[in-house]
Amino acid sequence: MEEDFKLVARFKKGDQQAFELLVRKHKMTVFNTIYSIMGNIQEADDIAQEVFLKVYTKAGSFRGESSFSTWLYRIVVNSCLDELRKRKNRIISYETEFSQEEKLKLKDVLASKEEDVSEELRRKELEDIIQKGMNSLPEKDRIILTLKEIEGLSYSEISQIMKISLGKVKIWLFRARQKLKEKLSFLYPEE
Amino acid sequence: MSCKRFKILLSAYLDQEIGKDEEEELLEHLKTCSGCARELEYLKDIKRIFLLREKKEPEEFFETRLFTRIKDREKQPIWQVYLPAFKKSIFVVLIFFFLIVGFLNYKKFFYQRRTEVISDLLTDTQVEENFEGEVLAIYYGPPR
Repeated sequence: MEEDFKLVARFKKGDQQAFELLVRKHKMTVFNTIYSIMGNIQEADDIAQEVFLKVYTKAGSFRGESSFSTWLYRIVVNSCLDELRKRKNRIISYETEFSQEEKLKLKDVLASKEEDVSEELRRKELEDIIQKGMNSLPEKDRIILTLKEIEGLSYSEISQIMKISLGKVKIWLFRARQKLKEKLSFLYPEE
Repeated sequence: MSCKRFKILLSAYLDQEIGKDEEEELLEHLKTCSGCARELEYLKDIKRIFLLREKKEPEEFFETRLFTRIKDREKQPIWQVYLPAFKKSIFVVLIFFFLIVGFLNYKKFFYQRRTEVISDLLTDTQVEENFEGEVLAIYYGPPR
């Protein structure tokens, strides 16, 4: 965190290399957060580029009242929301229904020990299945689940990024998990 | 406490974002409620599914493309950089402009009319003019 502040301060003084270091350090986080919310690699790449362009032009407005990553996540979430608003005028359909094969694969993975699923190929297959589940959720739920489950942020950080109270973070996460559970109900036939 | 409230607490418990008193209460409840205990296992499964997710890489030459865009942007004249934002906000600016102009004119008209009405009420004014329209004398009459 301290390092980020120093890099931003250097960049504000005109050090381009400091900006390049910030991009290298945060590009994976930014890209994966956007991908999880938007559900499309090409789109995630475009938005990630826009996010860093905004960081480049708006770095002067970063006063260090929050951590750099919180500030960055706010730009990421707002950029995704802007894009999702534009998307409402376009017809984009993502596959959100699981095939029989995918259902069996997910059941298999959950039944097995963690080390058994560490093979790269299986992880990649699983990745698509998880994203399909995420794509079926409303945008608010996708954002909050991404920040918690993928980025591992605390409730306090999520509340700052989404500008909602801690109580709301708790309730929204509960509801998002319930919706995902409904989507994955095939895993629990006795329910 | 109802099971619904405990289920909300389960989600926070899993994230280690729960107070000590609530945690004790929840663990006590879990000993006797099989439904909530099962719910906890489902939530753990969902968490595990996310942990198994693999991080994706951005498309090739991400940084090179970004730095090229920044350089291109810096070469652009300043008005071209702000043109898209200006285009977006022009309608809002125009609406505000007309609202302000409308409000000021309304105020001006209102005060002018009020002055006329008051002066009509208070005085019976007569103006004496010559043939060229020059004011020669103004006679203020008594209040009506």
